[in-house]
Amino acid sequence: MNPLFVQTVSLRFRLTLALLLAFLLIVLDHRLSVMQPTRMFLNSLVSPVQYLAVVPEQIFDRVSDTLQSRRTLRAENERLSLSMLEMQGQMQRFQFLVQENERLRNLLATEAREDSLRMVTEVIAVDSDAFSHQVVVNKGTAHGVYIGQPVLDERGIVGQVTSVGLTTARVLLLSDQSHAVPTRSERSGIRVVVQGVGDTNQLELMHVPHSTELREGDLLLSSGLGGVFPEGYPVARIQRIIRDESLPFARVTATPVAALDRIRMLLLIWEPDGEFQPVYRPLQRALENLRRNGQNASEEATELLRDEEPDATEQEDAL
Amino acid sequence: MTSASSLTQRLVICATLIIGLVLAMMPMSVGVAVWRPDWPLLILIYWIIALPHRISIGIAFLLGVAVDILLGSTFGIHAGAYALVAYTAARHYQRVRNFSLLHQALLVMVLVLVERSLVYIIEYYLHNAPLMYRYFWPALSSALVWPWLFLILRKIRRRFQMV
Repeated sequence: MNPLFVQTVSLRFRLTLALLLAFLLIVLDHRLSVMQPTRMFLNSLVSPVQYLAVVPEQIFDRVSDTLQSRRTLRAENERLSLSMLEMQGQMQRFQFLVQENERLRNLLATEAREDSLRMVTEVIAVDSDAFSHQVVVNKGTAHGVYIGQPVLDERGIVGQVTSVGLTTARVLLLSDQSHAVPTRSERSGIRVVVQGVGDTNQLELMHVPHSTELREGDLLLSSGLGGVFPEGYPVARIQRIIRDESLPFARVTATPVAALDRIRMLLLIWEPDGEFQPVYRPLQRALENLRRNGQNASEEATELLRDEEPDATEQEDAL
Repeated sequence: MTSASSLTQRLVICATLIIGLVLAMMPMSVGVAVWRPDWPLLILIYWIIALPHRISIGIAFLLGVAVDILLGSTFGIHAGAYALVAYTAARHYQRVRNFSLLHQALLVMVLVLVERSLVYIIEYYLHNAPLMYRYFWPALSSALVWPWLFLILRKIRRRFQMV
């Protein structure tokens, strides 16, 4: 039986303690941002809940996948192979352009750009906090994800990673109020900062003079100036320019190129020679290693061969 | 009451709270999601009213921290708001127990409103959050699901003979 009149600590005291603690936490997290490591640990701790929450949706998806008729599958297959063909055609031209670009850059004696490393990730929770635009993806520190990492979808920039757990990461979207991207107009090369306003299909351009050369419909590409986003990815398209002379700057709104309201699969980007590198799945890594080792072995073999006939290689060098 | 059964009871309470968190995180289309009841808070309120000497402000605070992590909001916002709601519920649990389900539902609506307003006010001070009325709609849906939730949780409580 429960004792009736035993109250060890009064409720009011506990409330005061809890509120004080909460206040302390808010100050620590908001003002001093010393909670980053704790947050990482706690994120990993609660990630099972996030994975559990998407299970019904995944089951539903799988069921609807298996229930698809043969005809829709065949149609989809046809469509995909068509677009694949088209892509490959474009890729050939792309390869050629990349080589040409490299050559030109060499002529100009500027650094050649390396291809960035990518990893596909799936969104497991969307828009959970009403006051900020964030999504949670199913890759974390275990896969080499880091804070500040750029995130794209198939059309353009989506946002950046703001906190990571072991197997999850939180992505702040472009449309969040606290997010801004330095961009450059594709047509005129004018640099502008694109700021989120808390609406998934609207962004605002900051500090644009009335005499700007920007036009409605201009595509804005990331300029790479902020050091977070790599250069040249599509960010937004200018929607409207309101030149109200009574305001200090023109009011320019833009729509994000990425479909921020229905993101599903995202791409994480790594700098080719950055501090952080992607960690692929063990199986994949093992295969990679095997392949590399095999290559090493063959390379060693060729080196050995070369050592045997040094004259030939020297002649080649001379040529 | 043996210690083993007390352990299972604790597990049951934990499980219901975790289910609440999962329901709060479950992805839904935007139109439905704005009406999503505040599941963790509802389940917390039930346990506080039912077992005020076991579930109280401490658990509410921890649950609030969990919600903060899951939602990605600043630490302590939901924790503080949950603690305050828990205080109100724990202070008046005897009175609330004697309310009819309809009365209780109305009270729950007010509690959810209080919690959401608190969160909004803090968010406003921290990030200048815009006022969105749809953020407060879940108070209504929470009141609507309360009677059913109450009956289900009571069944669970009686099944495991928690006093």
